[in-house]
Amino acid sequence: MGLLYEDAPAPERVVLRLTFAMTDYAQLVVYIVLGLALGAGALVVPALIAPRSKGRDTERTYECGVDTIGTAWMRFGVSFYLFALIFVAFEVDILYLFPVVLVFDDPAFGWRAFIEVAVFLVILSLAIVYAWRKGVIGWVK
Amino acid sequence: MPRTLLDIFPNPLIAVGIGITAVMTVLSVNTLFCIWFERKVSAWIQLRMGPMEVGFHGTMQTVADMVKLLGKQLVTPKGIDKPLYHLAPIVVFAPVVAAASLMPFSESVAITNTNIGLVLVFMFGGFASIGIFMGGWGSNNKYALLGAMRSVAQNISYEIPLILSSLSVVLLVGAMGREFAVDGGVIQANGMNLAHITGVQAQRGVWFLLLQPLAFIIFFIAVLAETNRAPFDIPEAESELIAGFHTEYSGMRFGLFFFAEFSNMFIGAMVATILFLGGWDGPVLPGPAWFFLKTYFLVFCMMWIRWTYPRLRFDQLMTFAWGILVPLSILNLLITAFLVKVF
Repeated sequence: MGLLYEDAPAPERVVLRLTFAMTDYAQLVVYIVLGLALGAGALVVPALIAPRSKGRDTERTYECGVDTIGTAWMRFGVSFYLFALIFVAFEVDILYLFPVVLVFDDPAFGWRAFIEVAVFLVILSLAIVYAWRKGVIGWVK
Repeated sequence: MPRTLLDIFPNPLIAVGIGITAVMTVLSVNTLFCIWFERKVSAWIQLRMGPMEVGFHGTMQTVADMVKLLGKQLVTPKGIDKPLYHLAPIVVFAPVVAAASLMPFSESVAITNTNIGLVLVFMFGGFASIGIFMGGWGSNNKYALLGAMRSVAQNISYEIPLILSSLSVVLLVGAMGREFAVDGGVIQANGMNLAHITGVQAQRGVWFLLLQPLAFIIFFIAVLAETNRAPFDIPEAESELIAGFHTEYSGMRFGLFFFAEFSNMFIGAMVATILFLGGWDGPVLPGPAWFFLKTYFLVFCMMWIRWTYPRLRFDQLMTFAWGILVPLSILNLLITAFLVKVF
C-alpha cells in the first residue's frame, strides 16, 4: 500500500479537488446514496438483535386464516394499464410545459406565447375527452 | 437567495456531513412527533385521551415504539421475489432524504439550492411509487399486489394535477420575480428555484395562496392522494386489503415504510408552504419558525381531514382525479397564463 501510493497527493489536496467537483446536484446524489445506506443500516440492527424463531407457519404468505390459493403474480384489470397510458402521455406533455412556463413572461414572445400554450393545452385536454368517451375514466369495463 | 451549505463550508465532506445529520435529525424528530401527534389528534376528535402512559401526555410513546420495532423479528415469507422484496423499503426511504434536503427553510441558509428544485421534488416523490410497487409485487401476496396496483394508479393520476397546479405558480414567479432573479446582470434563479419562489412572495408581500386559491386547493388534495392519506388511503384500506402493499413487511422494514410515509407527508406540506404560503415569510418570528409553523399547520389539516372524512371508492377516486382535478388545473393554468399576459 504505502509503496504504491507514495506519490498520491496529500489529503488536503484531494479535498480541494473534490470542492471543484462538488455542486448541489452532486450533493443530492450523495444524499440518495447515504439514504440507501441508512435504510440498509436500519435493517442491520434488527438482523443482529431480533429473535429468529421459526414455527410451522411463520413464513407462510399472509391470508385470512386459510391457505393461499395460487400465486399473486397473475393478470389484473386492464383499467390500470389504460390509466398508465394516459399518464405517460400527460407526463411527457407536462415536461414540455416546464420550460415554456419559465420563459413565458419574456416580452419577446408577446401574445404568441399565450396562443401557443392555449393550443397545446386544448389538444392536451382532448386526450381526457377521448378517454372519457371511451369509458376509461368512469372505470367502465 | 439563501447561502447553501457548500457556500458556507467549502469542504464538501463537512457540508455533506452537516447536511445529512440535519436532514436525518429533522426527519426522525418529525416522524416521532407526527405519529404521536396523529394519535393525539385522532383521540381529541373522537373525545378520547390518546396515549398517556409513557412520558408527559404520552410524548415518549413513539420512542418506545421505535425501540420495540428495532427489536422485532424480520419475518420473510416464502415464495417472494427476493431482490424486489428486500430492496423495496430502502427504495421508498432513500429519496425522502434527498427531497428533504431541497427545502429552503430560511432566508439565510439552505442545505442545497438548485434551479430545478421543483422538478427534483416531484422526481423524488415519484420514486415512492416505484418502491411501493416493488414491495407489493415482490411480496407475492394478493392483498399486497392489489394495494400496490391501486397505490401506483392513484399516485400517477394525482401527479398530473399536482404538477399542473404548481406550474401556474411557476408562471406567476416568472412574471413577478424577474427583477429579483437577476444579480449583477446575471440571471441567478428561475421560477422552479424553491428559494426564489419563497423570495418572490416575501419581496412582493403577497402569498400565492391569495393569487392562486384554486391551485392551492388542487395541490393540497393531490398531496393528500400522493401520500396515501385518508380520504385517499385506498392502497391501505384496512377493512379490505389488511395493510395494502406492506402486508408482508414486519419489524423495521415496516418501520422504514412508515418513516417514509410520514416524511412524505411532511415534505408535501413543506412544498405547499413554499409554493403557496410564503415559506419563511412572516413578521416578528425568525424565518425557520414561520416555515415550520406553517408546515405543521398543514400537517395538522391533513390529520384533521383524515379523521373527518370517510374513504373514497376507487373508481370515484380516479374519476375525481381525471374528470375534475385535471380539467380544473388545466383551466387554472390557462387563466393564469392569460392574466400574466394582460398585466
